[in-house]
Amino acid sequence: MSWDRAVVKQAIADALPLYVPAIPFALIIGLAVVDSGMNHFVGWSSAWLIFGGAAQLTVISLLGAGTALIAAITAGLVVNARHVMYSAAVAPAFQGQPRWMQWIGPYVLIDQLFALSSLRLDNDPKTFRTYYLAAGATFWTLWQTSVAAGLFIGPVIPDSWSLEFAVPILFIGLIVIGVDRFPKLVAALAGAGVTYLFAGLPNRAGLLVGAAVGVLAGTIAERLR
Amino acid sequence: MTALVAIAVVGLGTYMSRAVFILALANRRIPDPILVALQFVAPAVLSALVVALLINEDGSVGIGLPELSAFAVGALVAYRTRNHIYTLAAGMGVFWVFRALI
Repeated sequence: MSWDRAVVKQAIADALPLYVPAIPFALIIGLAVVDSGMNHFVGWSSAWLIFGGAAQLTVISLLGAGTALIAAITAGLVVNARHVMYSAAVAPAFQGQPRWMQWIGPYVLIDQLFALSSLRLDNDPKTFRTYYLAAGATFWTLWQTSVAAGLFIGPVIPDSWSLEFAVPILFIGLIVIGVDRFPKLVAALAGAGVTYLFAGLPNRAGLLVGAAVGVLAGTIAERLR
Repeated sequence: MTALVAIAVVGLGTYMSRAVFILALANRRIPDPILVALQFVAPAVLSALVVALLINEDGSVGIGLPELSAFAVGALVAYRTRNHIYTLAAGMGVFWVFRALI
């Protein structure tokens, strides 16, 4: 297969600026791995096994905080459930792709690649494939490297900085940027409020109650509009 | 070992959520009620996580003035700049200042 160099270059040029905001996530994931006490290689493996910052951070910080395995897994899966929407949105462009592309493509379908590739759904199949894979490989390589960098920086940073608090702050940033309509604000407030009310449940299971009620509250708010 | 299991299971689930329509259901549409609910998953679960991460061993929630101020400033900076680096710097900065003062 021959690569169209211009397309590859364009993909990399588009991917790089979109990657910058992900750098603090990668570094904090590395710090969270160090903080959680889990094997560093296992923690780093999340970068290529999950390849999704919010879910990685969720699973690692919850396990590090002593959350039950099932609750941590469920939370991680729920955080990444939004990818179902991406999958549906880009699926038409994968119809004409070879089977191997249909298997590999989903692996790198992160938020940033969804944003980039959804602008090119009408490209011819080969151009789409080249662009998608080049941008995906760029994000993937940068992500593996920066999470590893976080692992090396982690032990150097003193505990007194309480950098574990960076995790909820990063999530606040994701929430604020993602909440563009009133029903989403309702979902966010209900999720936080109900988790607070159920904080006494063992193994932080209140998290799952809060998330479920939040989704329900958002759906109801949408209906009432 | 349990950490690896959790990571691998979430990894598999993540792949499946990204692959479902590309590999299996390319000609189907997501039913509207599910599409509506899906958009609330991220805000609901992320805000639930913010609280859950601050739960102490005894079931109390460790949210005091430093945390609330950091969240408020972080949210404001995220809203104005849409930039995670600024958000992180502002939030941690406020957190450190308040913690030093109290």
